[in-house]
Amino acid sequence: MSRNRLLLLAGAVGVAAVVVVVLVALGGGSDSKGVGAASTAATREPVERSFLAGVQQHGDTLGSPSAPATLAVYEDPQCPYCREWALQTLPSVVADYVRTGRLKLVYRGIQIIGPNSEQGLRAIYAAGRQNKLWNVADALYRRQGAENSGWITPAVIAEAAVSAGARPAPIRATADTAAVTADLRAAARQAMVDRVQGTPTFVLQRAPALPQQLQVTALDAATFESELAAALQ
Amino acid sequence: MTIRRAIALAALAGAGVAAYLTVVHYTHTSPICTTGGCEKVQHSSYATLAGVPVALLGLLAYVAILATALVRGVAAALAGVVLALIGVAFSGYLLWAQLARIHAICQWCLANDAIVTVVAVLCIARLLREP
Repeated sequence: MSRNRLLLLAGAVGVAAVVVVVLVALGGGSDSKGVGAASTAATREPVERSFLAGVQQHGDTLGSPSAPATLAVYEDPQCPYCREWALQTLPSVVADYVRTGRLKLVYRGIQIIGPNSEQGLRAIYAAGRQNKLWNVADALYRRQGAENSGWITPAVIAEAAVSAGARPAPIRATADTAAVTADLRAAARQAMVDRVQGTPTFVLQRAPALPQQLQVTALDAATFESELAAALQ
Repeated sequence: MTIRRAIALAALAGAGVAAYLTVVHYTHTSPICTTGGCEKVQHSSYATLAGVPVALLGLLAYVAILATALVRGVAAALAGVVLALIGVAFSGYLLWAQLARIHAICQWCLANDAIVTVVAVLCIARLLREP
């Protein structure tokens, strides 16, 4: 083992260190400490939403309008189980059902957890005007803090909007308008019709059958898709 | 087995893992997962670098390392070491991100971490012994 080889090795270590520092600086992850109130560090990372990329989105609807079945998803941005479903199961539902044109999803945001949910819901519905409703909903889940801790703040909403590829200024401008209020009330009314008692709740409709709540025993992707497949048969 | 052959085999194994994750990224599918966190990790911002999937970068790196293993000489050995050390260090950073930021573990990332570490050790051994 010659000294020259050891010097070469030391040089290689140095070069590798420099390259990795550059890569980390270019990296997609970032430390967003200091933004928002009570978000946990686990959910703060900005979002790469490749699973929604290229999926047709209009207002509260995700997927092709001509899809034969519709799954209404009742959610509260403060709801931890909604978050679990959105992060772990929704991507595969999108891949297996929405992208293939078999199903479209409709977002029905309702306040279940507490008053702070309304702020999130208004931002989410406002993002629907930019056809980014599902992106912003997802981005907020990734920043979810403790229930009723006040974590949904204008700063968190703005950061979530940017990470989701939405423009925060129009969201701010339209969140408190009568139109968004009408969206919230419509979702709440429909929740009563569908007998929604908690979130997440899924209501499946395939014309000409009446809408029916999807009986879900677990929120993981395998179980959910198995139960969805059975309901779609 | 010669050390270059061992490097080539390990690089092929790593390329296999990276290729699978690259396909998962572009087909928007869910990776097979026993740790429960693969989806979350693969859809986090740490899964891309300047818009390029990290898995694709890893695949290219493994192919490059494979190429260095097919060529004799100190220069090729040195190139392999540099690439492998970059892989080890960046994989370490991504492991930290999984634990400290994403709070989820991807089994495929762990497999890559193990493979790239083996590749790095082999490449260093080759550099120190290459005639």
